[in-house]
Order: sequence, then structure tokens, then C-alpha cells
Amino acid sequence: MTIQNVSRPVLPQSSGNRPSPRARFRRRSAISDLLVVIAWVSGPVAASLYLASGGLADVKNVGSFLTALGIVTGLIGTDFILLMLVLAARVPMIDRAVGHDRAIGLHRQLGKPALYLILGHAVLLLAGYGASSGINPIAEIGPMLTLPDMITAVVGTALLIAVVVTSLVAVRRRFPYEFWHVIHLLSYAAVIFALPHQLSIGGTLAEGTVQRVYWIGLYVLAIGAIVIFRFAVPLFKSWAHDIRVQQVEWIAPDVASIHLTGRDLRALGAAGGEFLIWRFWTAGTWWHSHPISLSAVPTDHRARITVRVLGRGTRRLATVKPGTRVSFAGPYGIFTDAARTSPKLAIVAAGIGITPARALLEGSRLARGEATVLVRSSTDDETFLWSEMRKLAEARGAELFAMVGPRARNSWMSQQDAARGVTLRSVFPDLDRSDLYVCGPQRWAEAVVADARAAGLPEHQIHLESFEL
Amino acid sequence: MRRRAAVASVIASAGVLIAGFQIGSAVTAARTPSTTGTGTAPGGSASNSGTSGGTSSGSTGTTGSSGSSGPAKDGTFTGATEQTPFGPMQVAAVISGGKITDVKVLQKTNQGGRSVQISNQADPMLRSEVLQAQSANVSMIGGATYTSEGYLMSLQAALDQAGFTG
Amino acid sequence: MTRATFETMGTVVSLEGAESPALLGAVRAVFDAADRRFSLYRPHSELRRIADGSLELLDSSAELREVYATALGWRGETGGAFTPHRPDGTVDLNGIVKAWAMAEAGRALGDGDWCLNVGGDVLVSGAAGSGAPWVVGIVDPADRTGLLTALPLVGGRRAAATSGSAERGDHIWTRGREAAEFVQVTVLADDIVTADVLATAIVSGGSTTLNDLTARFDVDVLTVARSGELRATPGIRELVTR
Repeated sequence: MTIQNVSRPVLPQSSGNRPSPRARFRRRSAISDLLVVIAWVSGPVAASLYLASGGLADVKNVGSFLTALGIVTGLIGTDFILLMLVLAARVPMIDRAVGHDRAIGLHRQLGKPALYLILGHAVLLLAGYGASSGINPIAEIGPMLTLPDMITAVVGTALLIAVVVTSLVAVRRRFPYEFWHVIHLLSYAAVIFALPHQLSIGGTLAEGTVQRVYWIGLYVLAIGAIVIFRFAVPLFKSWAHDIRVQQVEWIAPDVASIHLTGRDLRALGAAGGEFLIWRFWTAGTWWHSHPISLSAVPTDHRARITVRVLGRGTRRLATVKPGTRVSFAGPYGIFTDAARTSPKLAIVAAGIGITPARALLEGSRLARGEATVLVRSSTDDETFLWSEMRKLAEARGAELFAMVGPRARNSWMSQQDAARGVTLRSVFPDLDRSDLYVCGPQRWAEAVVADARAAGLPEHQIHLESFEL
Repeated sequence: MRRRAAVASVIASAGVLIAGFQIGSAVTAARTPSTTGTGTAPGGSASNSGTSGGTSSGSTGTTGSSGSSGPAKDGTFTGATEQTPFGPMQVAAVISGGKITDVKVLQKTNQGGRSVQISNQADPMLRSEVLQAQSANVSMIGGATYTSEGYLMSLQAALDQAGFTG
Repeated sequence: MTRATFETMGTVVSLEGAESPALLGAVRAVFDAADRRFSLYRPHSELRRIADGSLELLDSSAELREVYATALGWRGETGGAFTPHRPDGTVDLNGIVKAWAMAEAGRALGDGDWCLNVGGDVLVSGAAGSGAPWVVGIVDPADRTGLLTALPLVGGRRAAATSGSAERGDHIWTRGREAAEFVQVTVLADDIVTADVLATAIVSGGSTTLNDLTARFDVDVLTVARSGELRATPGIRELVTR
């Protein structure tokens, strides 16, 4: 069925006087590398704060060694946690350089090490003081707690433990997402509760030192990033764009397109392929947020997202009434033209993954013949938005292949085509000079990526956007 | 490109650690060899056993063996005021020749806020110590109240006499 | 400087530095007025009439009530070691009136160089000859012809008050009525009322009061015990070792 209100493709000029994808890629990877280096080196810098204060000179025996280690673990552990805050803050520079997904990935990886370092900090200091003064470490705990701000520090640590424990995959599965999320937000409190004792006890961050200035600067940076990019900017943008639901359109038995109206919406999807995090304000949906890509490049007043109904949350989404207010955060993601590194573009999409693929195709600057698209579906039912893809491909001068049929064993392809000897290279002859964008259900998409890697495609030319089914 | 980032990180980390170590050595060398102030420093770390009730200093405090920051200049360094069960307390460390030679615990009085030494305790003193202060420049005699009759025989009368004629 | 003496309040005032007869007259007037109002030995003094019951405290003069209120305040501050009440309940403001009058006389004398001694309590202003500080000799209670020590009044300390179980008899009603621990207590302070009250309180309350008050008040104290043993705050130590 035809879909009204689809955006008229405003086709950008094909790459004229823009720097080549290669050049853009070099620049972006330089920034991304710089950010990675800064992130990793911040740990040793934290340790150096202690070294530079001359603390090593006091290490003479087991007790003072343990104490020194305790101080350093506290510094590095807190540094990691502040880094985690920055990674989760959705800072645009970080998102554009490495992608929000990678940032969250690193955030997750740092969780347990950071907690171990903090716990080690407490244990080592107790042991160190105990060894130095000949007192049983357990007996040290009482006097420790009378030091200024120690009680708040202990509370902060307890909150941190709660946050990390509930984030362990095994534990997280048992809770509904939103419950887990609320507990996770306690990490802000944990971080703030820990700060006073860092500033009032100990010599490394004492008043008047450069170290103190740097440390406070770190806190300002991390908390500032959260406040600005995670709260202030999305709030402002939501208010400014004033988005509401216009209508819900079912384009397949379990797929709905939600048409949105608002102000100045062109700014939301300038680079096709990005996703936004949406919140629909009805009684049954306000506490859930959903990451959904725009399925068409927006005009000033119209935008469209397409969702697949997979559970209660998404089902409720598909039943929102026209006029419902919508708030959002983003756009995020590097599944965009901006991430291009190579002259050619190869797109492989399946299921709901067709939405970012479609936006990518629509929003990229393309010369005729530059792009090749493969759309995949197990059955005829899954071919929503394919007709739009066909029209777009024709308009952009891109080749479009369709692969329909049940999956072959150990392959992402259909049985029929696998038997015929179809490979990535046969579909995309210029694979080595292409950026391969893959989007679709997680397991299937990962199979495509594995195939691409096996074919020798370098990592930076592979772009993945996968969906939990 | 990841390899480039990894290599850069390793090199930068090493550089940072070495720089920190150098700075620390310079800081330590700038202090006179006999650095005291470890463990006995006023930073009420748990190495003061028992219920010290938070007699820690604020900013100038050091805990255990972590040392203080920066070279120690001579003088009296006063920390921030802390609230303790005993009232507001401030600790001042007197540094002389790079060593902490005295630690004073100051307490604000309830009169006009002038800090007095908390150890304003009246301790025993020897007669010989006070006797040494006798001087010829005494203007008045202080003592428990004397009556008009008692005055006549007192030292004050002698002084007054001298004052009249002097 | 000129030195003058006169009798008042049952004791003798020695004053050095009141250069004009008018000034001296003003000082005399202060003490005479205080004596007339507060002396329990004058049959018609205001305080006597209150003690007799012929005048209600509420109907008394503003000044008397003010002095009484101040005395009550000090009772609180010293935990009862200083009190304007005799054991039989009579209001006796003796312990504070002298210092009160001295303070008023001091205001009359102004900011010049002078030294006022009223029966052994000293209040000073400015300097003695050629810029030197005023020095107060402290009598040795064991031998009143000799001095125990000499204390210069420096560093803002303008007043030196001494209390003791003196020649005048134990007019300081000691708590618990056992023999006083200290036979003489000298207090150096920034104002005479504080010095006088605290000296009285320490004689009355003994070493517990001594330790409590030295911790809470910015004063210096020299005590002489019945045994002859001396105790002194660090400030005194500094003064005598100059």
C-alpha cells in the first residue's frame, strides 16, 4: 500500500567539493584515537597525582606500601568512574567519533574494574594503617568513620556496589529495564557522596595543590557532561521541536510507522541513519524510552519512525493516539554517511533494519552507481518499506537486490542463493573499496559481519547496527 | 587504527608516570632530609588509636604515610576549622627548619572569637620561676582586698609613698 | 605622673595618672555613689534596704537591677562558683560592685595613661613612664611583706584581680563550706569585671572551676594553694620569663 506523507527525497548533490571519504575518515579516526588515548591515559595521570606529591618517599615498609597502594587505587578507581560518566553522557563529540554504542560498550567494561579498585582502596588503606600502627584493621574501622566525610563516603561506596551488582548481566535480567535504570541513576549520588572525603582527607589532593584543581576539574567535566548532554540539551530540544504524534500506520502485521509533526524537524535527521531515543507521553508509555531510527529523512514539519512490535512496550507504542506529546534525545549514532571511509557504499538490511538503511540511502550524498543495496527477508511478509527502497534506489542510481527465502544453515543468506554460490563479493564486486553497512536482527547481522571479515574486509569499513531481534 | 591508539596510550602513560615520579622526587628533595610528620601528624588518621573524636585537621592534615604536598616552608600553618564534639577546632602546625616543631590545637572561645590555646590549663609552677620576675618597676601591688587598716602596713602604701615623693 | 589615694568602700584606692583635680573628683564620685548604693554596711544603702526587706527588688533602681542581672549571668557562666547570694539567701553584690565601679571609673578616666588600684584589684590604661607597660606586683599570701612575682600587663590584658581568703576574712562563701583549696587567685583579663568575678569563682570552686574557666575564658591565672603550691596558665609563664 502506498504511504502518504513520506518525505519527498531532497536529493543532495553528489560528492562535489567535499573531501573524499578517505580524508574524512582519517580525520575522524584521528579524533577517535585521541579520545581513546585521553581516556586510557587518565588512569596513569590519576596515579601520577600521587607520585607528584612526593608520596613515594614515605613508602618505607609494608604498612606504608599498602597505604600508598590504597591511595593510588582510590585515585584510579574514581578516575574510571568519572570516565564512565562521561561515556554515558552521550557527548556529541564522542558519539560522532566512536559512536554511542562503542562508548556504552567501554562504559560496561569499566564497571567491574572500577568497583574492584574502590573496594581495594578501602581494604588496602585499612590494612596499611593497621600495619603501620600495629592495630588490627577491623578495629581501625571505628576511628576511620569518625574522620570527616567518611560516613558519606561509605554510603557512596554502598550505592556503587548496588549499582554494579544490579548491572551484572545475570542480575539485570531479572528486573524490568526501567527498574534497573532507576537504580543505575544512583551512581550519580555515589559519585557525589565520595567527593567530600577525597578533598578533606589526605595529602595528595590537599588545599592549594595543582592536583586538587585538576581533580575538581575532572568532577566538573564529568558531572557537567551528564547535566548538559544527558538532561539539559534533550529537554531543551524536546521543548523546542514540540513533537506530537500525527498518526500511526500499520505497514505489516507487526510493523507500524508512526508519523510525527513538529517544528524544524529537518534538524533531527540531517544525516540519514541516525537513531533517536524517544519517549511517548501517555499513561502507559511515559516511563519507557525507545531507541528508534528515523525511517525517512524528515522535512521541516514531518518525521517518521517505524517500529516492530516485539513485546508489551512496543505494542503500547504502536497504539498511541494522535496528538500525544513526544520527547526525545539525540540524534545519535554513526550509522551514517559521515562514517564513510571508502568510495563505494554497500548496504545489507533485513527486517526492521531496513529503516536505518532506507534513511541512509536517502540521506547520503551519492553518485549514480556508487551504492549497492541488498535487502533480505525470510518471507514475503517481511518486505515492508521495500517498495520505498525500490523507488529510492532508482532515484539515486543504486543497484538493489532482494533476497527472499528461509535461511540456509550457518549462513545469513537464503538457502536458494547459498546453494547458487552467491557471496558478498558476488553481490558487491567492489567490496574492498566499499563501506559495508549492515543492519538487521542481531544474530543475522553478526553473521553478515563475520562473513565480511572472513572476506578480508578491514574493520573500519564495516558498520553495524543491530537490533534485539 | 586501534593499534595506533594503543601504542600512543602506552607511551603517553609511561611518560605521565615518569613525569609524576620526577616531580615527586624533586618535591621530596626540596624538603630537608629529616621529614617528620608521618603518623604523628595532626591529621587524625586512624593511626591515633581510640576515640579521638575527629580531631583531624582539615586541609593541612596528612594521613598516615602519605606525606604532605609541597615543600615545607617555615612558619605556622593553620588548617580549616572542624566541628568536633568538643567544639570548633583548628590545628596549627609550626614548621621550623623544615620540621614540624610544634602542633597547636586551637579552640575558638565563646568570647569575641579569639583563638586561645586549648591548653590554657593552669599547671604547677615553681616558686623560683615566678620569683625571678620581681622587678623594681612595679607600679601597684595586687593582692586580696585589704582593709583601710590593713593598707597602712602594706607594700602598696610604701609604693604610694614613693610615688608622692618621686 | 601624679599619684593620689583615697578611702572608699572600706578599702583604699591608689590612682596614678589622673592629672587634673576634676578627673580625680569624678573618679571619687563614682566610688562614693557605688558605695552609697551597694554597701551592706551602710544602714540606708539601697542594697541594705532590700536585704532588710523594706525595699522590693522590683522597685529598686535600674542600676542596681542591672548589676544584679550581670551577677546572675556570671553565676550561670561559672556554674554557681560565683554567686550574688549568700548561703542565707541575702543578695550580696560585694563580689561584683567593686569591679563594676572600677570599670565605670575607667570610662571616666578615658584613654590616657593611668593605673587604678582598688584594694588590690588593678585596672590600667596606656603605659607607665616612657612607654613601659604597667607592672603589678603580686603579694605573697604567706608573707605579705614580700612579693611573689611581678606581672606586666601587656597584650590587651588591662585588668588584674586577686581574690583570696584574705585578711578581711572568708567573705567568699566557699562551696560545700570546706576550707578553700586556694588561698589566693590572681586573674589577668581584658576587663576588670571578668577578672574579678573569675578570681572569686576560682577561690570558691577550687581546681575544678579553675580548669573549667581557664579552658573557656581568655584569661591568665596564677593560683596559690593552701600548701603553698603554685599553678599558672601558659600566659603567666611567658610573662615571668621575659
